[in-house]
Amino acid sequence: MAENKQSACVTCQPAGLCGGKGLLTLKDGAWRNNPLAIQVLGICSALAVTSRLENSLVMGAALIFVCVGSNLIVSLLRKRTPHRIRMIAEVAIIATFVIFFDQFLKAFYWDMSKQLGPYVGLIITNCIVMGRAEAFALQNPPIVSMVDGLANGIGYAVVLAIIGFFRELLGTGEIFGHQVLSSQWYTPNQLMILAPGAFFALGIVIGIFNALKGPEPQEKK
Amino acid sequence: MKWLLKIVEAVRPTFEEGGKLRTFKPIFEALEHFLFSPSTRTLGAPHVRDPMDLKRFMSMAIISVVPCAFAALYFFGWRFLAMVVVSYAAGLTVEAAFAIVRKEGINEGFFVTGILFPLIMPPNLPLWMVGLGVAFGVLIGKELFGGTGRNVFNPALVGRCFLALAYPKAMSQSYIEPSGDLLGCLLFKWLPSGSGVDAVTVATPLSAAKGGVMASTSHMLLGSISGSAGETSAILIILGGVFLLFTRVANWRTVVSILGSFIILTAALIASGATKVGIDGLCGPVVWHLFAGGLLFGAFFMATDPVTSPTTNPGKWIYGMIIGTVTVLIRNFTGYVEGVTFAILLGNIIAPILDEAIIEVRIRRLRSEG
Repeated sequence: MAENKQSACVTCQPAGLCGGKGLLTLKDGAWRNNPLAIQVLGICSALAVTSRLENSLVMGAALIFVCVGSNLIVSLLRKRTPHRIRMIAEVAIIATFVIFFDQFLKAFYWDMSKQLGPYVGLIITNCIVMGRAEAFALQNPPIVSMVDGLANGIGYAVVLAIIGFFRELLGTGEIFGHQVLSSQWYTPNQLMILAPGAFFALGIVIGIFNALKGPEPQEKK
Repeated sequence: MKWLLKIVEAVRPTFEEGGKLRTFKPIFEALEHFLFSPSTRTLGAPHVRDPMDLKRFMSMAIISVVPCAFAALYFFGWRFLAMVVVSYAAGLTVEAAFAIVRKEGINEGFFVTGILFPLIMPPNLPLWMVGLGVAFGVLIGKELFGGTGRNVFNPALVGRCFLALAYPKAMSQSYIEPSGDLLGCLLFKWLPSGSGVDAVTVATPLSAAKGGVMASTSHMLLGSISGSAGETSAILIILGGVFLLFTRVANWRTVVSILGSFIILTAALIASGATKVGIDGLCGPVVWHLFAGGLLFGAFFMATDPVTSPTTNPGKWIYGMIIGTVTVLIRNFTGYVEGVTFAILLGNIIAPILDEAIIEVRIRRLRSEG
C-alpha cells in the first residue's frame, strides 16, 4: 500500500513542476519504482519469454517502443480525450503501436516473431503500458510523458535482460546461442529454462532489488 | 579435555559483544555446545510440561532412519557416507549463513534434513549435485520462509524436486545395482560395482515394471533392489517408522491415511483392470506396489514432518488421503514412474489451508451450539 501511495504522489505532481524533473522521472521509473521488480507488474510476459537472452532483449525493446509512443500520443491528446472514454482511447493508441511493432517483426525478423509468439500482441494488455498512460501521461505534458515511458520501458527491459541472461546461461550454458560454459564441466540446469526456473529467477531478482533499494522511507507528517 | 576447554574460554571474548568476530557468534556457539554443555544456566524455574523438546524430537527422527542409513551403506557402498557428509556440509553452510545474518543460534532443525536428503538420492548421484540440491532445499524451501518451524515445504523434498527437474538425466541414470555379497559393501567398498563413472545404471523396480520386468517382492522387502539410497529396504523402513509412531514423533493418522488410501485405490485400479501389474491375483500386486519406490519412506519419514503436515486430526486424515491418491494417480497415469515427492509437496501446500478450514468449521459449530 505504501508503494502505491508513493507512486501516486510522484506521478500526480502538477504538470508545471514536472518539466525540470525529467532525470528524476527517469530514475524513478527505471529504479525506485521499477515496474517489474518493485511494483511487480507485467510479470506474465517476463516469465514467458525470458528463456533466452535474445528474446528478452527484443521483448524489452518492444515495450520501450510501445510505452514511449503511447505515452506521447496519450499525453498529446489528454486535453481532448473525454474522461469517460479515456480507457478505450488509451487501448486503441497502445494497440496501434503494438500492431506496428508486431508487423515490423513479422516483416524483418520472422524467426524472432515466431519465437515470441503471441506475447508481442499481448503487450496491449500489459499492465505497465496501460498503467503509465493512465497514471502519468494523462496528467503530464508530452516530453515528460515520453521520458516516463522510456524510463519504465528501460526498467522492464533491464530486469528482463537480467533474468534472460541467467536463465539462458544456467539453463543451456549458452549466451545468444554461443557456448559460454563448456559442456565438459558444466551440466545445464534444465529447471532454469522451464517455467519454475522463471519464477525462481524473477523472485530472486525482486528480492535483490528490494534489498538494494532498502526499506520504504517512512512517511513524514 | 581441559586443554580444549581452555581454548574455548580463550577465544570466547572474540565472539562476545564487542569482539572482533562477533558476527560469527552462532558458529562459535554451535561448536561450543557440540563440545561442552553450555556455560549459561536458566534463571528461575523452567516450566516444562513435556520432556519432548525440539532437540529430542529431532534425535528420535534421526535414530529412526539409522537402520535405513545402514542399509544404504550395506547395499550401495561407502560412497553413501560421502553423500551424507556433503549433505551436512552444504546444508549447514546455508544454515550458518542465515544464522549469522539473523543473529540467531544454529538450531537442530537441519540435522534431520541432512540425513534424510541423501537417503532419498540415487546412490551414484554426483556429489556436487547432492550439495546443490540440499543447499537449494534449505535456502528456498526453509530459510526464505523464516527458518525451522515456519517452512511450508519439506526442505529435503524441495531439494529432490529441484534436482529431478533440473538434472533429470543424471537423476534417472544414477540408480545402480545393489551389492549381492553376503557382507554387502561393509568391507569398505566405495560402490557395489564399478568405480563411479562406469557404474552400471539399473532401472528401479517401478521403471522396470513399465517394461514388463517385475522385481520380486521378497527382494523389495529386504532391500536388494535398485532405488534411492535409503528407500529400498521395506522392512527396515517399517521398523524405523513403527519406532517413530511409538515415540509419537510421527502421527499414526497421517501414515494410516496415506497407506490406506494408497492400498484401496491401487486395489481398485488393479481389480478393475485399469492398470496392469505382472503379478497375478490382487493381494500380491498391491503389496508389490506398496513396497516399490519411495512410498513407505515418504509416508513414515517425510509426510509426517510435524512442521509441514496439518496440526488438526481431521486435517491429517485428509492430508494423508491427498498424498496417497496423488501418488497412485502419478504412478499409473502420467509419464513419471514415481510420484511420492510431488504428492507430499502438494500435500504440504494444502496442509495450512486444511487446518484453517477445519478450525473455521469447529468455531462455527461451537457458535451455533451457543
